[in-house]
Amino acid sequence: MKKTGTEISYLDAIREAQAHALRDDPRVFIYGQDVGAFGGAHKATKNLAKEFPGRVLDSPISEDAIMGLAVGAAIEGMRPIVEMQFADFSTVGFNQIVNQAATLFWRTSVPCPLTVRLPFGGTSGSGPFHSQCMETVYAHYPGLIVLTPATVEDAYSMLLEAVAIDDPVIFCEHKFLYYHLKAEKLPSEALPVGKARIAREGRDMTIVTYSAMVHEALEAAKELAPEGWEVEVVDLRSVKPIDTDTVMASVARTGRLLCVGEAWPWGGVTAEIIARVTSEGYGLLDAPPQRLNAKDTPVPYHPNLWMAHRPTHHAIAAAARNLLRQ
Amino acid sequence: MPAIPIIMPQLGESIAEANIIGFLVKPGDTVEAGQDLIEVETNKANMTVTSPCGGRIEKITAQLNESYPVGATLGRIETTNEEVARLGLEVSAPTKPGDTDRVAKGNGRWSRVQPTVRGLPVPANAAGASFLSPRLKARMTELGLSAADLAGVAGSGAAGRVTVEDFEKFIAHLEKQRMSQASTMRVAVADAMRRSWTRPIAHVGMPVCLDPLFAYRKVARPKPGPALCALRALAVALAENSAPAGRLVGSKIVHPSSIDIAFAVEAEEGVLVPVLRNADKRPLKDLIAPYNELVELARERKLPPDATGGSIATVTNFGTFGLEWATPIPLPEQTLVLGMGAARHAPNWDSVKGQFVPIMEANLTLSFDHRVLDGGAAGRLLQHVADLMSEPEKL
Amino acid sequence: MVQTVLEPGTAENAASFRETYLAAYRFMLLARLLDDKFAALWRSGRIHGGVFLGRGQEALSAAIGVGLKKGDVFAPLIRDAAGRLAFGETVLDAARTYLGSARGPMRGRDGNVHRGKPQEGYLPMISHLGAMISVVNGILFARRFKKISDTVGVASVGDGATSTGAFHEALNQAAVEKLPLVLVVANNHYAYSTPTSRQFACHDLADKAAGYGVEADSVDGTDLNACLKTVGQAIARARAGHGPQMVVAELLRLCGHGEHDPADYVDPKLKSSPLGRDCLKVAEEFLLRQKWLDAAQLGALREEMVREIETAIAQVQREPAPDPFVEEWRALATRHLGETHEENGN
Repeated sequence: MKKTGTEISYLDAIREAQAHALRDDPRVFIYGQDVGAFGGAHKATKNLAKEFPGRVLDSPISEDAIMGLAVGAAIEGMRPIVEMQFADFSTVGFNQIVNQAATLFWRTSVPCPLTVRLPFGGTSGSGPFHSQCMETVYAHYPGLIVLTPATVEDAYSMLLEAVAIDDPVIFCEHKFLYYHLKAEKLPSEALPVGKARIAREGRDMTIVTYSAMVHEALEAAKELAPEGWEVEVVDLRSVKPIDTDTVMASVARTGRLLCVGEAWPWGGVTAEIIARVTSEGYGLLDAPPQRLNAKDTPVPYHPNLWMAHRPTHHAIAAAARNLLRQ
Repeated sequence: MPAIPIIMPQLGESIAEANIIGFLVKPGDTVEAGQDLIEVETNKANMTVTSPCGGRIEKITAQLNESYPVGATLGRIETTNEEVARLGLEVSAPTKPGDTDRVAKGNGRWSRVQPTVRGLPVPANAAGASFLSPRLKARMTELGLSAADLAGVAGSGAAGRVTVEDFEKFIAHLEKQRMSQASTMRVAVADAMRRSWTRPIAHVGMPVCLDPLFAYRKVARPKPGPALCALRALAVALAENSAPAGRLVGSKIVHPSSIDIAFAVEAEEGVLVPVLRNADKRPLKDLIAPYNELVELARERKLPPDATGGSIATVTNFGTFGLEWATPIPLPEQTLVLGMGAARHAPNWDSVKGQFVPIMEANLTLSFDHRVLDGGAAGRLLQHVADLMSEPEKL
Repeated sequence: MVQTVLEPGTAENAASFRETYLAAYRFMLLARLLDDKFAALWRSGRIHGGVFLGRGQEALSAAIGVGLKKGDVFAPLIRDAAGRLAFGETVLDAARTYLGSARGPMRGRDGNVHRGKPQEGYLPMISHLGAMISVVNGILFARRFKKISDTVGVASVGDGATSTGAFHEALNQAAVEKLPLVLVVANNHYAYSTPTSRQFACHDLADKAAGYGVEADSVDGTDLNACLKTVGQAIARARAGHGPQMVVAELLRLCGHGEHDPADYVDPKLKSSPLGRDCLKVAEEFLLRQKWLDAAQLGALREEMVREIETAIAQVQREPAPDPFVEEWRALATRHLGETHEENGN
């Protein structure tokens, strides 16, 4: 199944990581809707049921019971990977995630080593219930780890690490990146979970972001370079925990901060970063910190509306220019 | 009567515009809903623009052989309200965002939610030329600088504010210049002068005849210096009316509780200002010894802590440097500085003799906080001091 | 029809039935006395938060506890004091959780009936009704992966929980996966104040089972004899691989929803009907009739248990309470991935 010599997509990386996990650890199994013979709605588990019989199982449409079963299996020492067909549907299993999985260790000292894969984020034409970003609500609850890989390499290595972590991990894989992002090969080593990555070094301002928005931010930085601005882009990689040290060091270098997120404006990752930088690094800021998020409405269906709803590299560049001019 | 625009319709999936090739109606014609009005040509076929409703053609604005995009207005039809309602057509002109909000409120009353708590007044603009960012302030604190030290630093930020980059460039530039360490006294005086200068300081001056003073000095024992005489004269004048030495705090004038007057003594690297307490209560001859003692202590930098501070005015004899006039700055907590210039021979008109006669003259200046004192009152005070100095035996 | 150990018929079976009955009765009595003690402590202000008793449901609960083996899985409901004790919980641990001792299984992080030891198969509930059933499913599912056979999981719920989505999803899941789940429904006719007429529209809760493709039995929850037999048979069927089993017991709660609740809404006609019988009295009468115990022995048993309870309570009351300054405020097992927020004291 290893693709050598051909390009590997973000989706391939996720599939490879699962194959790797299934192969190396008999405690791992995959459970979710349509993941078995069908290979998953997004094809993230294609051929895995065949290669690992009895380890990749179709569930009924019961997100609550899916999550409860995963918790029970984790108590018994297994390492379940649950695929939610769309992040948006995880709300049906929300209770089990935040009240059962997230509280188990704190209440009983028994760890809950499960991984929930959430295909999240917007793609054109998907509409309000196939596009949501759920990282904010899960990050808010103590007891959960929330990962948001932005690269093919991170999709692979962070999913492997997620399965190995003894706590419940919410793995937010961006649907837009599935086929749009490709790499030459899978990594043999990686930054550990909990460390952010400097995606682009800069001098004049820092953009802190995650997942698909990292690529939009990099495009914006390219747009600003000929104007004489060197923009640093920080890829958070995980939104819980947040690597505050890397963010703070970057703002110390540049003095200006713009946070970008695809989620909605109220609260969320961008608010959290700014709260931390302002309270712990107030003296580092040469200008008021800014943020850019999606519009405060459900995600629209029509491409005209969808394209205006979320931050794009043009919008990011415009916000950056504003900040640079202050 | 409402008028409906005639709009270029979406004539096909990828059609963006169409060319006008003929008009089937003219202004004034009565038409029915759906009637053909204008012939157009697209890159696929010839089509027609039909009437949105029944009514009368008010005007056609489209031109023959011109292209118009989908959605463009080609003319207007006058019609009835019923027709508009029947067809659910939009009649009103596009509203501004605020208007829509008001309309959307239904019953027309649109009130803002009143805040229940009134807090601190929020500055209208937290940025702008005077904005010092947290980072800039942190750096300034680190280097022991204040906003006054930034005067002359060019700001490249919004509204000309000094950004931290501008600041760092300034510091780097400074470090290329020759620098010597300023003494603690220099830094302290700098701080006092900066704080004092936040007030509007004004100056008045007048020449005063010193002959009576010099005559008195010939016979007096011990001999009072001219500055001390001026100090005592000022004390007497202020004892009669202390308002000119009051401090303005907000809308109140704080009157001095005792006439304590300081005098300037030049010491190494700066000026010390020891104080003669209750200078109004002791005659001139009793002030000489304490004055001389304080001068000695000041020169030796051995002034006790209670010898300075708490004065309501300062007297400075800049004449000792040969200066005829100067504009001294009062200490931050004072309103007045009385200055005396160098004595010189000067002609004075003697109206009795009808000619100029030589006298010894010096300029007497008064620097004051113009919020507390105006020119008239300053002048009157100065005149009173000059008058008192013309009878030194009474001081 | 599966032969069970509770079928009298052979002398061997009769002896083992007597032992089982006596054991169950002891747990019922201990649970009743412990509940009485907790109620008294609550009334005197010594218990912080809610107290939820199982008075009236002990027969069903004890039947579950003695029917399960060590190594099985049990997700009790709030009124399963007897079942918990029968499954292996100690009076000390129950008291510790109610009295907030730092040495209790939940260490003060959760309280009252929210207690358990997950790795011993005794699951600590979360408050959301129905949510524990799929967790039992998960454990059974994992054991199948590990090729552990001969295991059974009981999820105990009330009539109210049968209305939840979680109940529906979990029962369906258990049936699809053919898991050895026994779902015991204590139908005490009131979910807090809500009578079953407002809870479900089917005639008998047991009728729901057919919709899931699951076998169900009904039983008189006030009769220990019947409970032991029915619950025992359901457990045996599940253990033998027949898929999920459902048992619906009819009984009445002989206390409020919590001790704060006077329960005036309960229909007095129900209270005075056979449904309102006290299962403990019924069991005692049976014991006396069978001459397995006499009145004096019952009295002595009661006294011994009261002493045991009083000793345990006294010990627990001397134990330390959790100390917020010593407490490790960490919700993740993976230490290095926790965030520190010094301003909040962690």
